[in-house]
This record gives sequence, structure tokens and C-alpha cells, in this order.
Amino acid sequence: MTAIETAIDPRYQSRSLVCDGNEAAAWGVALARPDVIAVYPITPQSSLVEYVSQFVAEGIIDAELMNVEGEHSVLSALQGAALAGARTYTATCGPGLAFMFEPYIRTPGLRLPLVANLVTRDTLTPQCVWGGHQDAMLVKEAGWIQMYCETVQEVLDTTVMAYRIGEHPQVMLPVNVNSDGNYLSYGVTGIEVPPPVLVDAFLGERNINWHAALDPERPMAVDPLTGGAGGPGPGLFVGYRQGQCDAMQKALDIIEETHRDWGDRIGRHYAPLVEEYRLEDADYALVTIGSMTGAAKDAVDAARDRGEAVGLIKVKTFRPFPVKAMARALSKVRAIGVVDRSVAFGWNAGPLYQETLAALHSTERFLPAASFIGGLAGADITVDDFSGVIQDTARLLQGHRFDGPRWINRND
Amino acid sequence: MGTAYNSITFNQAKCDGCGDCMRACAQAKAGSEDLIHARIQILAREDAPVELAMCRQCGDPKCVSNCPAGALNKNPESGVIDWDANKCVNCLLCTVGCAYGGITFDAAVGHVSKCDGCDGDPACVKVCPTGALEYSTAGSLYRRISEREDLFVPGLSACQGCNSELLIRHTLRNVGSNVVVATPPGCIPGMGTVGYNGRTGTKVPVFHPLLTNTASMLAGLKKQYNRLGRDVTMLALAGDGGVGDVGFQSLSGAAERNEQQLFLCVDNEGYMNTGMQSSGSTPAGSWTSTTPVGEAMQGKRTDAKNMAKIMMMHNCEYVATASLAFMDDYYEKLDKALEASRRGFAYLHVYAPCPTGWRFPASDTIEVCRKQVETNFVTLWDFTPEQGLRFTRSVERPAPISVYLKQIGKYKHLDQAQVDHLQRRVEDQVRSLQAFTHMSAAG
Repeated sequence: MTAIETAIDPRYQSRSLVCDGNEAAAWGVALARPDVIAVYPITPQSSLVEYVSQFVAEGIIDAELMNVEGEHSVLSALQGAALAGARTYTATCGPGLAFMFEPYIRTPGLRLPLVANLVTRDTLTPQCVWGGHQDAMLVKEAGWIQMYCETVQEVLDTTVMAYRIGEHPQVMLPVNVNSDGNYLSYGVTGIEVPPPVLVDAFLGERNINWHAALDPERPMAVDPLTGGAGGPGPGLFVGYRQGQCDAMQKALDIIEETHRDWGDRIGRHYAPLVEEYRLEDADYALVTIGSMTGAAKDAVDAARDRGEAVGLIKVKTFRPFPVKAMARALSKVRAIGVVDRSVAFGWNAGPLYQETLAALHSTERFLPAASFIGGLAGADITVDDFSGVIQDTARLLQGHRFDGPRWINRND
Repeated sequence: MGTAYNSITFNQAKCDGCGDCMRACAQAKAGSEDLIHARIQILAREDAPVELAMCRQCGDPKCVSNCPAGALNKNPESGVIDWDANKCVNCLLCTVGCAYGGITFDAAVGHVSKCDGCDGDPACVKVCPTGALEYSTAGSLYRRISEREDLFVPGLSACQGCNSELLIRHTLRNVGSNVVVATPPGCIPGMGTVGYNGRTGTKVPVFHPLLTNTASMLAGLKKQYNRLGRDVTMLALAGDGGVGDVGFQSLSGAAERNEQQLFLCVDNEGYMNTGMQSSGSTPAGSWTSTTPVGEAMQGKRTDAKNMAKIMMMHNCEYVATASLAFMDDYYEKLDKALEASRRGFAYLHVYAPCPTGWRFPASDTIEVCRKQVETNFVTLWDFTPEQGLRFTRSVERPAPISVYLKQIGKYKHLDQAQVDHLQRRVEDQVRSLQAFTHMSAAG
């Protein structure tokens, strides 16, 4: 194809459009060309599956669309489809994710590289339809790869990248692309949809069920019972479990490699695991996750203007947890304030706080730290809120210690 | 499976001694109204059960071994004992050998005569008004199926007398190898069909879905095979818990979407694999390990739900009930269901009495199946949206429910009120189903 033809062929064109994060995710799905999509609506994910369904109706996505009767069947149908070799897609959140839980926890053990966006939502009860990370955090031990997006553009880009990461033969794990309900689901901004041919080349040939298939041409039993204490021994089970853990660790490399290649081909670069922002000469740092990071960066910039030596560490990949990357970032500062959009019941802190402290152990250093919990029930964590977080974190350097978490938005 | 043949069966309890069979036989074989020519003889007496004199087409026939002339031979194709007039020397030794009065001297024609089965279309059966005489085609079905590969491995570890193992072996032989088999948790994977420790018990693709999602997983598989342009059968072999309890939502959704699959419910009325706990399919009064019998509670307090009827209300492509005591009926329905599953959702509800969990001798499984049907505790019917409901076996003249219940340990504690309740329940169910013979479920 000549350069002229390339220029006029729409497959080679990137397109600019103004949309919200749910539509951006749907464009990511279109670019990934799934075979089977199963949907069930739930706030604030609903418009995402509406966009996907509309794209199928218009022929933008050439896939089997299954309108099933609940999230439990959504994931079950997609497991079946993947065992027949399909690339699949769905999205959910909150109570829908809870209802999906039974097949959800089984997917990683089947080593099926399903991709599902979580448009994160706080969990019931109290009744709440608003954003928050509690749903995704509740399933962090289920064995799915989980990446949190900061921007609408990153939702599109990460949705595509998720397929290459999950389907990598050394990974073969399901992937959640997490976007904050309300802020990313409905936040509207300008984005770029990359050229389909570039994405096709980036994703390459799909091979979903080379390891486990339900196919009369390759007859096998999928997931026979393994031995336990009363049988021939649990070794087979342990081996499978260990394989899952090994794949999770391998995924750290693949996530980095995939983000690098995306940047090279498409021109947009993201920190794949942990982003260090203005950290080089910082005395202390905020630790953030998800869309709150934008306001946090603004607050850091403002504090820098005031002469505060503060930086920021943003976690994109939460599962597998990037211990080394986090330790590297932590080694550059003397105190941290960790901001969570969810809680860790029983720890009186946020889960990101817990994980950050666990990673700190590998540095063999002690850092004073404080847990901040904000953005629950869709609350906005403003630049002013982050300025308060910065002030509180700075107090750690003077020897102040907080008893329990600092609750942001309590009086909003 | 050994050689088996179709045969005329006789139910003594149903015969009222009317003699229509004899008249039809005499007419068919001799063109005569004289009953002397009938090769079936019914002896009805006032104070004794009806007796039948007729050739049983024995497997080890004494008439044949007694015959010095080689005039009698068992036909290897039909199983009928053929008599050759050209070889017969009229010695009558055959009549001495037969204990059933099945071959007798007919003085009017001067030689012996016996039932020849009317080439597989017996005249006597066709005229029997009470259903006492039936022509069982199970034999030819067994022979046909024995020529197909058993796609389960030998040595599945089902209990002795297990109805379910028999059912799944028959079913998969008939469905063939171009299939994906789903067996949610229960007796069927428990007996080793999906296998243990990396070994499988099935020669075709097989998997454990969750107890809750069988129909959904199969639906996803089928979607992708359709996309690939491959015609692969989706077969579920599920217990009643995975169908009517926790499995119901995904089942109902798949039926509503008319997903192309053959969903087979093996109903043993509870969670037999995990220790005989109660399910929504457990009949009222049943002892189970979670509906025990004591002073405050005498078995299950509520009735079973009728899953087959519920699936009919989904207006599926095909819905049918079946019992392994009536294999010819089952095979006809299996063929129809398989064909329907190419178009959409097909549901077969097979009643599966469990000797271990219900407490009856392992040797009685098929007899318990038969009594379920003969008492109308189980009714055999099928449904299509076009034809509505059709009984495939008469529900007239049922035996009382006690005939069925008394065989089974899980009912042994029942008092008369509980038996009466079950009898009323049976009659209500039959009336309710009869209403559907006059209208389609969709109407």
C-alpha cells in the first residue's frame, strides 16, 4: 500500500472525538475485535455496554452479542466462549461484580484471558450508586490482573493493551481495566482513537484456548477434580496454584513491555506499573490510584510553587502488585501519605496503604506513613483536599503520627 | 450389550379378559372368527388372575432343542422362533417342551402353530383396549445402540444399580462424539466422568461447570462454534439441584434466549451425591438427610416443583419427560430433542430413582422407574410450541400411589394423610398437564 493509499484508507486514520470514559472503553473494545460479548447493565457501567451494543448494531464491532440474564451468566458464557477459542469482552461493577463472584474467582484458575472493565462503584450497603474502589478492592485476591486508569484516553488505551497482556502465552490470566465510576465513566474529554491497522498489528494473532479447550477435534476434560488430603495428594493442585502465582509475577514484565510497545506504535506513553511524579528531589510523597491523581498532581504542583518538596507516586497496576517499582519510588522519600478510595475493614486504613507498607518492607527502611480515605460514594477529592493531605503528610516529617485514617469528605 | 429383541409384553394387572386379542389373531392368521386359530390365548376366570398362553420367543427355547427335524429355529435378526412347515414331522415334541403353551397343535389345520410376531406389527397389541398388551421396541434400540461406541470409559464409580450411569451411557452413545458435555457438580461427575487428577472418564470434550452456570457456559461455547461455522452439539447432563435450584436462573435465561443446546435433567429428587440432602425436586414426605423424620418433622414439608412443566412454560423448542423403564419412549424423545437443539433450546427431564439415597434394592431400579409411571407419579409426555403437550403413554387407569411408595425406604414412615396428600398431588398434576393437551403453553 502506498503512502497516498494509506492516507486515504480509514483503517490507517486515527480519529479525534470528544467522549466520556465509557464510550472510550467501547472504542477500545471495537479496536480489539472480540468474538463474543456478553452484557448486563449496571450503574455506572450501563452506558458502556450500551455503546458496545450500539457498535454491534451498526457493524462497527463484528461479534456475537449475548444479552444474558445477569452478571453470573455473563462471565459463565464468556468462559464457555473462550474455551471454544473466542476473544471476549464484558464490563461490570459493584453489586454486579458481587453477583459475578462465583465464576469470577474461577476464571484465573482456568487461565482464560478474559478482559472485563470495572467501572468502579462503592459497595452496598449503605445504598449507593456512586463511584469508589471498594468493589475492585474486594476482589483483589481473586487472581485477576487489575490496572487502574487515570484518564479517559488511558481507559481506551488500557482496554486494548489488556488483551495483549492477558493473552500473552506466559501470562494467560484475565484482566480488569478499572475506571472510576462517575469521574471516568461520565467525564467528557477529547480523545484520539488510534488507527485500527496499527492496533491489529499491535495485538497480533489471537490464541485463546491453546492450553485448555472444549473442542471435539481436541477432546479433553477441562478441570477434572484434583487430589486433596484424602486422595492421591494435593500436589497437582499446588502446582496449578503456583503456576498462577508465577504467571502473575511474569505479568509485571509483560505489562511493562506492552505499554512500551504501545507507546512506540501509537505514540502515547504511560507508566505501566508505578508513576513517579516530581519525585526526584522530594522529601515526601503522596501515593494515589485512579482518576484522583489528576487533582493530586495539581495540588503537588501548587505546593511545589510554595516551595514544598513534595512528589507523587501513582499506582496503575495493582495486581500483580509492583513491589520493586514501588520500593524504588519509596526509597526516594522520607514520608508518605497514601490516599485510598476504599477501606480495608479490620485494618482501619485503606488497602493501598496496606499494600504500600507491605512493599516498603522490601526496602528494609522505615517510613512514617498516614492513611487518607476519600472519594467514597462518588465524592470529589478536590485540589484543596489534596493540599490538606500534603500538609498532613508534611507533619509526619516533624515527628507527628496519626492514630487511624484521615477521613476526607466526612463533612461534604 | 448382548443381543436383544423387540417383544410383545403382557401386564396381567391391566387385562380384563375381553378376548379382543384372540379375535384379532384368529382373523389375522387364519381369516377366521374361530378362536381355536388364535395363537394368543387368554384364560379369564372369576376368582383367579388372568392367564396368558403365548410364545415368549425364548432365548433358550426348549421347543427348538426338542425338535428332531430342525423345523424350529430362533431367527437371529428378529428373535422370533420360526416354524418351517416343510421340515415339520408332526411329532409334537415341541409342545411338550414349552412351559407357556406357546406352541400347540391346531387340529383344524393338522399341525402346530405359534405366534410369529406379525413381522413386528402384532395384530393383538393393536386391538388391546386396556394397554395390557404392548409391543416393546427396546430390543432393537439396544441392538442399534450397541453398535455405537460407548463414549464413557469403563469403570465409572457409580453406585450399584445406578439409573444415572445407565442413562448417560445410552445418551452419549446416541448423541455421538461431535459434542461438548457439561456435567455440573453431582453424581455424574462424582462417578468420574470428568475424571480425577488429570485423567478423564469421557472420550469426548467434557467439563465441570459450576453448579449454577451450566446453560450459560454451553451458550457461550455454542456462540463461538456458530461463529466458526462449526456444528457442535452442546449437551448438559445435570442433576435436579443444578437445574431447578441454584442452576435455575442460568437455565431459564438460556431457554428464554432459545440457546441451541440439549439440556438433560437427571432427577434423583435431591443432592444424592453429597449425602442425600433435600432439593426443590424432593417430593413431600420424603426422608432426606436435611428433611429427617422425628417427632416434630416427618420428612419434607412441601411439594416438589415440576421442572418439566416450568420449562414447557418457557415455550422451548422441545420439552419432554422420560423414564428408563420405557427406553423406546426415551430414545424417540432423545432423537427429537437432539434435532430440536440444532434450532434452539431442548429440555429433557429424566426421572432417576436412586437406590442408595432412596433406600431400595439396587436390583429394583428399573422396576421403581416403571412403578413411577404406572402410578402417574411420573407422567411421560412431550411438548413442542406447535403441537402443545402430548402424553406419550396413557395416564388412564393408574395404580394407586401406595404401589409405588411401598417399594422405597425414604417413604416408609409416611402416615395415611401423607400418602393421601401424594395421591391428590399426583391427580392434580395429571389434571394440570391434561389442560395443556388442549392448548399450547404459549397460548
